[in-house]
Amino acid sequence: MQATPERSLTGRWIAFGVVIALLIAVLALLARDMKPESTLRKIEGYRPWAKETVRLAETLPVQDGGRIKPFSTYAGFTMLRLYGSRSMKIDAPNPDKIKVSSKPFATLELAPTDWLLDCLFRPSLAVDFPSFRIDNSAVVEAVGITAGNKRDRYSYRDLEPARDKLMELGKSYEAIESAKRDTFQNQTIDLAYNVRLFESLIGYFGFARTGITMQGPEGQGARTTELSTVMQTAPIIRDVITKSQKETGKVPEHVQALLEQVLDASNFSKFGLFLLPPSDANSTAWLSAGNAIMEVMTQQSANPEESIADIKQLEATVQAIGSSEDEFRAQLGKLSTRLIGRAKQDNQYRAVELEASYYRADWFMNALKLYFLGTFLAIGMVMAAGKTSGKVFFWLCAVATASGFLVSVIAIVQRCIIMQRPPIGNLYDTIIFICTLVIALALFIEFLTRKRFALALAPLVGVGLVLLARKFEIGEAKDHMDPLVAVLNSNYWLTIHVITVTAGYAGGLLTAAISFVYVLLRGFGLDGGDRDLRRSLTKVTYGCVCLTLLLSLTGTVLGGIWANDSWGRFWGWDPKENGALMIVLWNLVILHARLGGYIKEWGLHFCSLFGSCVVAFSWWHVNFFNTGLHTYGFTNDKQTMLWVFYYIILAVIIFGIIVRAIEESNKRIASAASTSPDVPKVPELF
Amino acid sequence: MSSPSQSSPKAPASYARRFFDWLSGFGLATVLLLLLGILTWLATLEQRDSGLYATLNKYFDWKAPFILPEINGKTVPIPLPGGYWVCALLTVNLALGGVLRIRKGLKQIPNIISHSGIIILLIGGGVTHHFSERGNLAVGEGETSNVAEDYFEYVVEVAEILDNKPTAIHVIRGAQIEDLETSSRLFRFPNLPFDLEIGGYQENAQPIAATERAPENGELMADGYYLQSKPGEKNAEANTAGCYAKVVERDGTRSDPIILAGASFHPYTLRHGNRIFTLDMRKRLWVMPFDLTLNKFTAEFYPGTTRPKKFISQVTRTENGQKANATIQMNEPLRYEGLTFFQASYGPPGAGPGQKLYSVFEVVKNPADKWPEYSLWVVVVGLTLQFGLKLVLFIRSRFHHASHS
Repeated sequence: MQATPERSLTGRWIAFGVVIALLIAVLALLARDMKPESTLRKIEGYRPWAKETVRLAETLPVQDGGRIKPFSTYAGFTMLRLYGSRSMKIDAPNPDKIKVSSKPFATLELAPTDWLLDCLFRPSLAVDFPSFRIDNSAVVEAVGITAGNKRDRYSYRDLEPARDKLMELGKSYEAIESAKRDTFQNQTIDLAYNVRLFESLIGYFGFARTGITMQGPEGQGARTTELSTVMQTAPIIRDVITKSQKETGKVPEHVQALLEQVLDASNFSKFGLFLLPPSDANSTAWLSAGNAIMEVMTQQSANPEESIADIKQLEATVQAIGSSEDEFRAQLGKLSTRLIGRAKQDNQYRAVELEASYYRADWFMNALKLYFLGTFLAIGMVMAAGKTSGKVFFWLCAVATASGFLVSVIAIVQRCIIMQRPPIGNLYDTIIFICTLVIALALFIEFLTRKRFALALAPLVGVGLVLLARKFEIGEAKDHMDPLVAVLNSNYWLTIHVITVTAGYAGGLLTAAISFVYVLLRGFGLDGGDRDLRRSLTKVTYGCVCLTLLLSLTGTVLGGIWANDSWGRFWGWDPKENGALMIVLWNLVILHARLGGYIKEWGLHFCSLFGSCVVAFSWWHVNFFNTGLHTYGFTNDKQTMLWVFYYIILAVIIFGIIVRAIEESNKRIASAASTSPDVPKVPELF
Repeated sequence: MSSPSQSSPKAPASYARRFFDWLSGFGLATVLLLLLGILTWLATLEQRDSGLYATLNKYFDWKAPFILPEINGKTVPIPLPGGYWVCALLTVNLALGGVLRIRKGLKQIPNIISHSGIIILLIGGGVTHHFSERGNLAVGEGETSNVAEDYFEYVVEVAEILDNKPTAIHVIRGAQIEDLETSSRLFRFPNLPFDLEIGGYQENAQPIAATERAPENGELMADGYYLQSKPGEKNAEANTAGCYAKVVERDGTRSDPIILAGASFHPYTLRHGNRIFTLDMRKRLWVMPFDLTLNKFTAEFYPGTTRPKKFISQVTRTENGQKANATIQMNEPLRYEGLTFFQASYGPPGAGPGQKLYSVFEVVKNPADKWPEYSLWVVVVGLTLQFGLKLVLFIRSRFHHASHS
């Protein structure tokens, strides 16, 4: 039996340090993204929403991005777009009545639904929320506002004095061709759009708060009435206008004033929230409150009674906010029943509750926690290798990683059910899918080899990729469950081509990760010269190269066949296609070079490490080119992370080359020392 | 491909044998695959600046044995072999090494299968490169067409006008005039009373009136106009070619030069005796063996967005009086008699409700249309057998090893 190899303790500590440094870097990055504004905003008079109210609001159906989604999803992505996070901290009057005397204010955390409820129903509070994340203080300085930190958050009240200037500036930058705009100009345009979006939310229910002031025919007897009441009189108003135009050629002044108010009210509630299911059976487009008002007033509504009843219920809900939250919840419940009932008639409510629960569960955050835990346990496993505690760490790490994997699978399955399509349709989908597949493959390799390197690697890769997915989601602030454009809308091809080619990316990354482990273990002497371990790593790398080739080649050719069916050509030299071909070619180079004896163990690992750069180029880099049919419209300022990745891989390869050179040199010295000195030839006697 | 040759005390191999070994060896395969990867990478980078069509012609056309790559608009002074020839050599290498020379045996069968699949794919690529034709056909609702227009190829068209209709149309193909940038060539038309001399071809040019802007580079003038050269468009479909033509009489006398330009709105009208002819430079039209009528076009969008959901063209194909209805939509083309019709786009842009729409089909004639699919199945079978076998052997050895230890 082979003796347990001596493993370098120093090397183990270095490796431990590297992993800890990586984790700290990752956590710092995360904290930087989640960091709230420099000081917490104090919101006087704020009362948190009751859980029941929030739960009720979460499942209200809304049409957005071409599909029906829960209010909470809409709130989540709107908040991400404006605020850059799904959680906002504020200082609010302490809801704890016992502690209020000693601590009058407490820190509250607002979830997206709380935030959107405030924007819609309590705008006087929402205008003080730090709702706008601005990554470059120069943007606010350019419109004459005193800036805080370079990256900071501002409230609507902070920005309001410069609103007009901001809109003017945004418009002038928008006139510049998008490819020629710089980051500052893009940020200014984004801020202008975000301010408008926020205004559309806080002004959405203005009609229900202010009502309509009705003047008498002679300017007497002014009174305020509800807009829904005015809507009921739409045919009468029309008759009055027609009659007056016939008689005098003009619209009576009091009617004109009334119509102007109605127009203003409908314009304020025209955008933002499309929450009224169509009453016309032939229509699939949902209505905003403003649309419904205008359709009734212009007598184009297929079912004016229903639209009026909708507006009436919205008014009742908004007005109930002034009485009590219980009353508000009761009215919101009525609204919810009304809208959900209508949505269910056309089976449009199918996945709304599931989706609300998906975001509530925050599966990937839970997976991230488990992968973090798995990483710390893996460190323990490596540090205590060969001891009983090492075995305990091994099993705990396996359980944590497998649990993270299961959580990720549940999340992906739920997404498929909600989207009614295979798991991959956009870049965000690829990240979570690759993450899950890499973990699965790593666990399978661990099962086959029992060498622990795959298990140690799995949670670390999980942490990296889930964080990447979160960062990407925050950066994009787009709902990645929205339906796909016509050409991609094929479940057959999405299943067989996209999954296969993405699995090829996963294979390529895992291959490189194993080689990464090989170089570090050998470089830092962590393997103690264990040839069996090295052989295992090399065999697994070779197997992964084969797997990557099989998946990438199949996926690439399938993509070609799909392109041939969609666009009339098998190969269009689209950057994304080229990237996939480069992965195939690189893996073929590795296999042929190895079969030809041009690369051996070290060479295989260097090549597989370089393969991750080819994968990164195909997966991410081509998206920055803004050419081809797979473009995601990235901007160049997001390239930094990619270059950091390339440089890290390059550094590891260079490190490996140095280690190899030192080993060769040591071997030559040892061989020279062990060679016996030349012995003079003894003449033969016979 | 076989294993590297083992040292043996045999006599040195002949030059022919050594050449064969080199041509079928792993070394050449590795270098060619690497070169192909590098060319693909460089072409991906270069198409950002130069456009796809120009880049492909530069990197992968058979007329390009060597290329000088450009990165960020700067030429890299390292000549690389052209992609077409790398692929051709790779096909030979694969056929010789991966099928012919490879050690024969049960274990090598999957390997031979996968190499054969790649050979089919590469040959299919060659066939497509040389023999495929692509164009587009735009047809309005209720209208019929049997003519597709090439995306890139400009031709010179000479037609006689009889009863206000073009007849006896003669076409000079793009390949016959594209090399005439600084020279000219005489094209004879035995059926017409004159011949044409064509020269000064430019890939992208615009006729300019000398009164509007004087020629700056001594361009040839024709009836107060000259052809101003423009850099090639990134989107090569938008190029408008131009050339000069001279009418050559049967007695050899030549007329003043005439400008023929893709950017002109109307063809040049030539009176010859009592007969009227038109000379035109336009994208090549090709006539299909059947008519296509667009009955209805439907564009569906996801509600409340401008995101397209479905584009559906309901068409009728008419051939020899026989009618057949078909539907063409994204991912569901119509294939018939070697031609394939794909739903490409529609118009007019921003059409309102009730407005008459037209549908644009991409028309492709490609003898190797289905070859990639056949090759895929061959390769997948080969690779799955090969790698699957290796995985099974690996698992067996692991468990065997585990049970022994």
